Order: sequence, then C-alpha cells, then structure tokens
Amino acid sequence: MPIPPPLPRKLVCFSGDRAQFSRLVRRGTLLELVTVGFYRFWLATDIRRHMWSNTAIDSDAAEYTGRGKELLIGFLFALAILVPIYLAYFLIGLEVERFKAFASFPLFLFFYLFGQFAIYRARRYRLTRTVWRGVRFWMDGSGWAYAGRAALWGLMMIPTLGLILPSREAALERYKMQHCHYGDLQGGFAGTGKEFFKRGWWLWLLVVALIFGIAMFPVIAVRFQGYPETKLAPVLLLAGFVSMPFIYGAFKAVEWRWWISGIRFGEVRFEASLARRALIGLYWKVIGWFVLIAVSFGGYLFGSASVIARISHLPVAQLFTPGNQHANIPMLLLAGFGYLAFILVMNVVLRVYLLRDLWERLANSTTVHRIEAIDSVSARGDLASALGEGFADGLDIVGF
Amino acid sequence: MDSDPEHIASPPGPGGSVVYFDGRSSRRRPVTLAFSDQLELHELQMAVVHWPYDDIRRADGPAGTLRLTCLTAPALARLEVRDAALATELTARCSRLDENAPGRGAAAIVAWSLAAAVSIITVILFGVPLAADRLTPLVPQSFERRLGDVADGQVRIMFGNKVCNDAAGQAAFTKLVKALRDAAGLDPSVQTAVLATPIPNAFALPGGKVYLFNGLLARAQDPDEIAGVLAHELGHLRHRDVTRNLIYNGGTSFLIGLLFGDVTGSGAMVFASRTLVTVSYSREAEQGADDFSIEVMRKLGRPTKPMGELLFRVTGKQGDKGLSFLAGHPLTEDRLRHMTEASRPASGPPLLTADEWQSLKTICKMAGAGKI
Repeated sequence: MPIPPPLPRKLVCFSGDRAQFSRLVRRGTLLELVTVGFYRFWLATDIRRHMWSNTAIDSDAAEYTGRGKELLIGFLFALAILVPIYLAYFLIGLEVERFKAFASFPLFLFFYLFGQFAIYRARRYRLTRTVWRGVRFWMDGSGWAYAGRAALWGLMMIPTLGLILPSREAALERYKMQHCHYGDLQGGFAGTGKEFFKRGWWLWLLVVALIFGIAMFPVIAVRFQGYPETKLAPVLLLAGFVSMPFIYGAFKAVEWRWWISGIRFGEVRFEASLARRALIGLYWKVIGWFVLIAVSFGGYLFGSASVIARISHLPVAQLFTPGNQHANIPMLLLAGFGYLAFILVMNVVLRVYLLRDLWERLANSTTVHRIEAIDSVSARGDLASALGEGFADGLDIVGF
Repeated sequence: MDSDPEHIASPPGPGGSVVYFDGRSSRRRPVTLAFSDQLELHELQMAVVHWPYDDIRRADGPAGTLRLTCLTAPALARLEVRDAALATELTARCSRLDENAPGRGAAAIVAWSLAAAVSIITVILFGVPLAADRLTPLVPQSFERRLGDVADGQVRIMFGNKVCNDAAGQAAFTKLVKALRDAAGLDPSVQTAVLATPIPNAFALPGGKVYLFNGLLARAQDPDEIAGVLAHELGHLRHRDVTRNLIYNGGTSFLIGLLFGDVTGSGAMVFASRTLVTVSYSREAEQGADDFSIEVMRKLGRPTKPMGELLFRVTGKQGDKGLSFLAGHPLTEDRLRHMTEASRPASGPPLLTADEWQSLKTICKMAGAGKI
C-alpha cells in the first residue's frame, strides 16, 4: 500500500490552490450579478469553506461548517429588526430636530453601537462554525458590553489624533479573545498597546506629518509664491500618494503580526514573523489592477458611445443631450452595465489578493508553541445564530 | 471483497493514514478500517465504532484528504483518510456520500433571487405609489406640521435666515397670498414669507409653509408671474405632495437598497436607479401642481402664461442640457407651452396695483433685519 507524502511539518500552513480559489470567486461573483446580490451569502460561505479547509494547524486542517442559507435567514431576521429601528430613528430624529436644527447628530452614536454589536456577534457566528479536530470554537460574553467598550475607546480616538489606537485595539481584542473558547480551553490575548505602539509609532508620525503637510500646503504655497519652491508642489503631492500604500501596507503587517502573536488558547501560544514589507506588494498589485480595470472601463465607455453614435448617425456629444431618448437610454444602460462589471471585477481582484493571498502570507508566517497542550480538549459550546452577520450586512459594516 | 467480513483495510498504529476524531475531544486517534456490512473503526483504547455506509457523508477537507462525517455519529465526529487507494475503496461503498453537499443548487438560488427581484421591482413600480397615495391622507396634519418645522429650521440655516419684512412690501405680499389662498380653498394657517437670497426659486414645506426667494421676485416683471408660482406651491400643499414624496422616496430607497444590497459596495448604483424611478414620480407631482395653479388663476380671472414666461426666463431652454428624463420638473419649454395653451385673457381685476407691485419688488431692501 503506497504511503502518502506526509503533510509538510509546519505548525501552521495554508495550502489552498490559487487557481481553484480564483475560479470559485469568479463564478460566485458572476452568480452575484445574476442574482442581484443574493448569492453573496453562498459566496461568502464558499470562500470561508475554501480558506478554512486549506488551513492546517499541526498538520490537521480546519473546517467551516456554516451554510449560505443560515446567512440568508440571519439577514432576513436582522432586516425585520432593523426596519422598525430605522423608522423609530427617523421619528426620534424628527422630534429632536424640531428643538434645534441638525441636533439629531448624536443619534448616529446609536448606530455606531449597533455596528460594533454586529461585529461581535458576527465573529461569534463564524467562530462557532469553525471546527478543528472534531471540536468547535465558541464564544460567550455580551455583544452590547463589547459595543459600549468600543464606543468609549472610539470617542477617545478623536482628541488623541488616533494615538490611542494601540491601547484601544489591545483592550477590545482582550475582551473578544477572553470570551473565545476552543472546547473547554479558554482563549486570551497577550498583546499590549505599548508593544503595538513601539512597533508602529513611526507610521503614525508619518501619516500625521503627511496630513499636516497636505493641509498646510496652500499656506506654504502662498508664502513662497514666485519662488522655485512652489514647483515642488506636484512632486510633494505625488510623493504623498505614492507613499500611502507603503505606509498602509507596513501598518497592516505590523498590526497583523502583533495580533497573531498575542493569541493564546490555554498554554498554546501563536507567533508570527511577518516582515513589515510582506504585504506592501499585495497593495501595489491591487492598485495596478485598479488602474488597468479603470482604463478598460474608460475605453469601454468611449467605445460604446462611438458605436451608438455610428448606429444612430448622431455626433457623440448629442448622446448626452435630451430629446434623443432612443440614443441616450441605450448609452445609460451600457454605462450602467459597464459600471457593474467594473465593480464586480474589482471585487474578484480584492478577494484574490487581499483575502486569499493575504491569508496565505499570514498563515505561512505563523508558528504555534506548546501545541501539545491542545491534544486532549473536551468539546463544549453551542452554535450561535447568524443574526450578527445579518446585522453587519444590513448596516454595511465590515470587521471581525 | 464483500464476502470477506473482516477485511482489514489500513495499516494499524500511529503514523497510519487514517485518523479519527470522535467529536467529543480533540484527541487524534489513528485507526484501522474494516469493511464489513458497516464501516468499522478500530483502535486499541476505544470500543469499535460502526458507521453505516449509507449514513456517511463527505465533509470539507484539504486536497488529498477524504474527510467524512456520519449522520448517526456525534455531529462533529470526523474520519480523515489520507490514502488515495483506500479513499477510493471507501468512496465506492458509500453510495450517498455527496447527498446534501453544499455548493450545489446554484440554479435554485438564481431562480429564487430572480423571483425576489421581480417582486421587488413590481412593488417599486406599482405598490409604493399606491401605498403613498393611500397613506398620505392618513398622516395627521400635526405630524406634517412637525415635519415642516424641522425642514423650516434647516431651510433657515441654509439660506441665511433673512426674512424680508419691509412694511409696504409685506402688505402687498399678504394681499396677494390671501387672494390666492381664498381661490385655492386653503385655510388661513398657511404661512408665507420672502427670503432674501439671490437664488431664483420658491418652495412649499409640509404643514403649510411657502417660501418665495427674492431671486425669483427680482426676475419677475408682473404680479401674475409671481401669483402663478405661488399658486403652484399652494398646489403642492393642497395635494400634500411632500408627505406623499416622503413615503414614496423612503419606500423606494429601502427596496432598491434591499435589491442591490452588497454587490455595488458604494451605493452609486442604488442612487442611480432610485433617481430614474423617483424622478418620473416627482414630475407627475409637478404637473399636478401646475394644473392646480392654472385652475386657481382661472378662478381669479388672470392669465397663466406669465408664470410659464417667468420660469422660461429663469431656466432658459432646457432641452439642450442634461438628460431630460432625469429632470424632476417637466422641461420648462413644455411647461411654457402648457401654460400658454391654458391661458385665458385677463377677465378679473389685477391682483396688485402698480404701487403694490413696486413695494413687493422692494420687500427685501432692508434684508436681514430680523426674524419673524
């Protein structure tokens, strides 16, 4: 009997086939178009199934047991709850505005809280659908308690110009991870704000300097009018734009590395060795695709305009004037179709690079210490409903 | 092979290619398989586990691993076979392996989605206008007035809160409004004011407020022009168009948002399609207000053509710019034609004397002097 090649002896490993994933996403995106978006629940599920089952820890792959139908039902329930809330929000806003115009702004806080609640509950759903070695992950704790914490930390972000971000992330992650469990093994988070700050403060400084520089530029330009320095303006602006992907990529790498290295389950400890430059290439590839797709979209618009102009024997400029409805309605339809295609192709690119490739780099840079502590964990915990994901979908919120 | 009841199919011991997780603990159990009338899992420290072939289902696994679950076993119990030959042999015995596997039935999802889309579009095109018409009379006046107060506060902030109150001009304005209001059959709770802003416009707020902007007054050459515009706005009040529009816009935005949900990400598509749908609706409302204006002016024995001329003076010919079917108002040239066709020569007394008209024109000479 042939002995199969053993799985690679790496503690964490992502071995998903890129072509297969890209096929899955392209098919799903097309179906999303055909189903006016309803397929998103099944596409999200298929993506997770692929990612989970190709991610192995200590040579055993995980499994995602959630289903698209659960997400659809969660979404419908969330809708049934959100619609009366939206209506009540409208009526309360009306009452408040009557006292003072534009006074209803603080009501946005309520929706912020609701969004954070949704993030917490969505993570809970995904976690309870995650199975490894026949035992599921689960989560307790309160979504509202989490939302309150997130809102308080969020309020402090403004006066501190975001300097408090590391402490905020550490505190919120501690709350979330302490309520995560694998069977009867409790999770935890050991990352500290100080550590995150030490790794990333220079990025914060760069961003603040950049924003300050761009904001101050008109002032500087006026002062130096006529001096050769003003010729530097476009160069500086360009430098600002070009440096953004580098800064953001480095920031994300620092953040992910810090996050992964903080994860604990009992005595099991994760560690990531992601280099700062590891993700920058991904962001540049996405930008490259974006430019390419945008140029093709422009070409498509120009092409369809000239085809319609030829068929209807009208000059191109007249396509955009009223009265020729037989000419400009087809133009509008073609433009709408092109726009949809543009968005959908961009979605494929984002999912392949910023979901799959990013995941691959993270997983393959991660190691686990004291994995033997997890050898005999008893199963515990119940399934959570997909209501949280439904809320996140209904409120258009992304996060985990 | 089937005649051999205890056919040992996999090598025993650790390092074997078959691993069993019992779904109760995370322990990795290297097992040996035996194919009898059921699948048997053997391990030294464990009682023999039996899985009926017909209950065995496939679970998601990485490439090269056959991962199985069993309907009659604990929900998370998993058997992992990493040996291709053994996997083939096992698969051959499990006839219902891929039943209720996810990732199938895309056709059903497509069909249901299309049905949902058709139903939503039908509701947008027929249900929401009907609902708006039926619900509007049910909205209490007190609620409308509240809406109006909110909008009023915002309008005043946006346009600088400068109400024109020159005494002679105000008297002329009040006289004009009263004549129109009586002809329109509206009660005296209607409030009107001229705002000192150069924008040539006028509008009605729910609950009975009409604002005329000085910019429009400045371009007017004749009281009948202004009277027509004011009558048009009174028409909106009479028809409760703002409330109806609110219900209609709220309903369509919600439904279109529901339809496109996540695909576009940005909502640009939602906005675009909403514009297409709601614009024709508000165009109907404008048409209705124009008709109302014509009716009122006829009652007063005044011509309707001047209003059309004023609008034409303000906007110019509209057919040359923009996408006509994206305009919320009917095209000005069409309105002018309509007003001209409906116009009768003056049969009633002028609404304002020449002196009163002059005072009205200069109502904003002390603009910004205060609030009402």
